[in-house]
Amino acid sequence: MVDIARVQKELQECNKDKDSSGISVKLKGGNSLTHLVGSIPGPLATPYEGGTFLIDIVIPDGYPFEPPKMQFVTRVWHPNISSQSGAICLDILKKEWSPALTIKTALVSIQALLSAPEPDDPQDAVVAQQYLKDYQTFANTARYWTEAYAKSSSVGIEEKVRRLVEMGFPEVMAKDALDAVGGDENAALEKLCS
Amino acid sequence: MQNKEDLPANATVDVVTSGKASEIDDWETIKDNDIMQQQSAILAEEAEKIQYVGDKEPVSSLAAEYQSGSAILLEKIKVLNEQYAALRRTRGDGNCFFRSFMFSYLEHILETQDQVEVDRVKASVEKCRKTLLDLGYTEFTFEDFFGLFIEQLESVLQGNEGSISQEELVARCRDQSVSDYVVMFFRFVTSGEIKRRSEFFEPFIMGLSNATVEQFCKSSVEPMGEESDHVHITALSDALGVPIRVVYLDRSSCDTGGTSVNHHDFIPTSEALPSTASGGSEASKPYITLLYRPGHYDILYCK
Repeated sequence: MVDIARVQKELQECNKDKDSSGISVKLKGGNSLTHLVGSIPGPLATPYEGGTFLIDIVIPDGYPFEPPKMQFVTRVWHPNISSQSGAICLDILKKEWSPALTIKTALVSIQALLSAPEPDDPQDAVVAQQYLKDYQTFANTARYWTEAYAKSSSVGIEEKVRRLVEMGFPEVMAKDALDAVGGDENAALEKLCS
Repeated sequence: MQNKEDLPANATVDVVTSGKASEIDDWETIKDNDIMQQQSAILAEEAEKIQYVGDKEPVSSLAAEYQSGSAILLEKIKVLNEQYAALRRTRGDGNCFFRSFMFSYLEHILETQDQVEVDRVKASVEKCRKTLLDLGYTEFTFEDFFGLFIEQLESVLQGNEGSISQEELVARCRDQSVSDYVVMFFRFVTSGEIKRRSEFFEPFIMGLSNATVEQFCKSSVEPMGEESDHVHITALSDALGVPIRVVYLDRSSCDTGGTSVNHHDFIPTSEALPSTASGGSEASKPYITLLYRPGHYDILYCK
């Protein structure tokens, strides 16, 4: 039932300007067009600046009439994102979803949410309370989480690429394999050997 | 004395609070997915009660719903029963206005085989497509919906390979994979028209919801299941150049004595009307008649 042709067009469209927007979408692994991973850069002048945030995307059967299911893979400290599960509280991912929207517009909205939290409609009550009562501590924690979780993956990837290259695989193939499996070194090795 | 009275009262409060607390614990374990699944289960249940588009029935069948209700409504139903030939209900899923319009318009084309009207509306649809592109919509987000509407339009014209009968039209309008796409097509057209003429629509929208034009389209026009109001009807009628009559079945009574049923005609602005017929009254006479009851639209058939 998923409108596969549309998802394909969306992927092309989204990755067309990824160099300028910084936003990209890839297949989660395998060839399924219903499980994707989005990547958004942390907005400048926010505690998320410099981080790269991965978002798990599941395309439901009723797409584009039903919203894509999105949640953060990268841990993030934000009033509208669960610090535990990565669940996102955003109107367009729920009742304000429309087929006029796309995976890309949803990711852009999530990026905007990072810039402009809505603590009065929280997903994570603890973070929201901190945001309202002690903004400085909130900002410090969010910045620390960005350092700890949203940057390590890229450092980690380089390390993994280096190890795969040492095993004798060309760097480009190693990078592609790691990208395709979402950074899991063992899975990437399996993919390279198959 | 007061203390004694306070005590049981407090105790009751405590019981209530602890009861609530455990309820909230349960609520926290419920995820969005569960809620959405439950929601679609409710919708499916609703679907069994009434199709997207029902069968034709006598207008008098409305009376059954108001037997214990207001006498004015029963009187008005009698009047409607004299004035109109039949009623066709649509599902109350928030898309009823668009769904009623879809069926009524396509049925009109099927019955009249009006090639001139089809050509005219196709030109309007083409303008709507351009409006959306000008507004910055990505083509692939709306092209399928436009394509499917044009397909339905062509298939109700007879003598083509893909021509369909009245029964098939009913079946298609009951088939989610056609019906919802056409509803969404109308939502795109409506949203595009409102944004294109935002200065005209802004005061009406401010009066309705205190939202900006952009917010209104995002939250009340483009999502499926969002109910339609005067603003939606005006915009759709203008964009496609199709006049619509809405008959109101409500409790309002008439000062002049006797029972009459109010109606309002949505007549497209002149820019949308066919230039050749702009002088005649024929062009602006509505052939689509909808029955409005607070929160819902059904289709009426003229005698």
